[in-house]
Amino acid sequence: MAYTKVAKKYSGKINEVTLGTGDKAITIGGRNVLPLHHFDGEVGNPPKVGLEITDIVPEDWNDALKDLYSDVIGDAAKWAKYVEDNYAPDFICLHFVGASPDGANKSVEECVEVAKQVADAITTPLVVAGSKNDEKDGELFAAVAEALQGKNILILAAKEENYKTVGAAGALAYQQKVAAESSVDINLAKQLNILMTQLGVKEEDIVMHLGSAAAGYGFEYLSSTMDRVILAALGQNDTTLQMPIITPVAFDTWGVKEAVASETDEPEWGNAEERGIHLEVATAAACLVSGADAVIVRHPKSLQTVKNFIEGLLQ
Amino acid sequence: MQKFMIIGERIHCISPVIRKALEERDPEPILKRAREQIEAGAAYLDVNIGPAEKDGEEIMQWVVQLIQSECDNIPLALDTANKKAIEAGIKVYNRSKGKPIINSADAGDRIDNINLAAANDAMCIALCAKEGIPSDNDERMMYCQQMLERAMEAGMDPEDLLFDPLFLVIKGMQEKQVEVLEAIKMMSEMGLKTTGGLSNVSNGAPKELRPVLDAYTVAMAMMCGLTSAIANPCDPKLMEAVKTCDIILGNTLYADSYLEL
Repeated sequence: MAYTKVAKKYSGKINEVTLGTGDKAITIGGRNVLPLHHFDGEVGNPPKVGLEITDIVPEDWNDALKDLYSDVIGDAAKWAKYVEDNYAPDFICLHFVGASPDGANKSVEECVEVAKQVADAITTPLVVAGSKNDEKDGELFAAVAEALQGKNILILAAKEENYKTVGAAGALAYQQKVAAESSVDINLAKQLNILMTQLGVKEEDIVMHLGSAAAGYGFEYLSSTMDRVILAALGQNDTTLQMPIITPVAFDTWGVKEAVASETDEPEWGNAEERGIHLEVATAAACLVSGADAVIVRHPKSLQTVKNFIEGLLQ
Repeated sequence: MQKFMIIGERIHCISPVIRKALEERDPEPILKRAREQIEAGAAYLDVNIGPAEKDGEEIMQWVVQLIQSECDNIPLALDTANKKAIEAGIKVYNRSKGKPIINSADAGDRIDNINLAAANDAMCIALCAKEGIPSDNDERMMYCQQMLERAMEAGMDPEDLLFDPLFLVIKGMQEKQVEVLEAIKMMSEMGLKTTGGLSNVSNGAPKELRPVLDAYTVAMAMMCGLTSAIANPCDPKLMEAVKTCDIILGNTLYADSYLEL
């Protein structure tokens, strides 16, 4: 009997969200099949990969990375331009680690100045990530959204604690895109999307940040959350969950023991930089097959490898 | 499982406002009820134009085009004993949001409506009755089987049939209620989709009790596998029950604001 190909059809579709402006603007989402299942239907826009930079010198980063960027690491705008020219990521994530009240505690004004300089230096779409302090981030995001009006940036992210400030300023007042962060809580993911839309934010201006985890560190919770969200979005045509997903892989993978431990402490584990890249690539690839439409990585080699992975699978 | 489907029942010629609007081709009262029901969560709207023996074809075409053009092509159930009117309605029907539903066929005189549905790639409500009320579930299931066979012979996908066990009035036929629920369970176990005129159960009860009777009946019926109902989506108590059962059955994902959706 001849082989008959059966395609899996879904009634729902992931929304398309565009970041940035001009030639380098990117669009994510748009598929009506499981991630990368191009043999089943419309696979939408290929997943996008961004590279992380920080507003201040990131003391806790791997030494090899700090060496790699040594000429530019003290100036976020130069750093962004260097990354754009040399590695051409789909987008750049400016991570405001310096805004943290528990750390450098840079003022909102100082941060806005950095954001403006970075945005002026590049044409690549920009994602702005916060300090993990909800109150500070609320103020920071509102001010950055205003200062960068017209750049169509993505704010990473609004949480249950600050979605009103971030949603109102970011998306409503200054027409930026906003990610809704739910920390591996599937019901909160849906609830935040509902609350943001009830606030007046358009569905096509929302991206989901469902949480992140390094492979081996509770990643299966993240992965099963993504699966459940995607099956509801596609299979049950749940319009409150059809926002594309962004996963900041870099934030977790470079903080776990396997990436952090020095070669002196763990000689059998080999080169620390290599280990970090391996963990980052493995986690990013797993996120993409689980449903992420965009991932953020830290190492340029991870960027290149993950881009190749996507191209290879979508050929 | 898919979310429970509400077929809004409020565009019905038994309502004097609607009857007058249909007679006079007055769009506003009809559109008002259409919009209210869609806003309240109806996935389909039932359009009952009555027997419409005289100008049924013209009325059906007018009302189908009116509602669909003004309400983003909401899918409709065409409800009349006049077969020609149903055919005429299907001719002008826009399928972009879902197939038309023919309301309804039965195992008696109206069994040909299944063929009408098959010939027009429509869905069909299949009322498990012949003459009057089936005496027991053996009879119900026999009718169900007969209509299923008729549809399969005509090349219909069983997914396009909505089997109606015939909900019965509680006040007067209390002893029949469990039987109806059991029939739904049997049909569900056969993998069939089901529906029914839910508000039948509360007929004749005081106004304030009707939402209570309807809501508890729908909850118990959903537990038995009921997949849709012809009902009043503007009844908050009923919709609360449907939405909550959808959550408990896993048909939709929970969020704190689920009742507001």
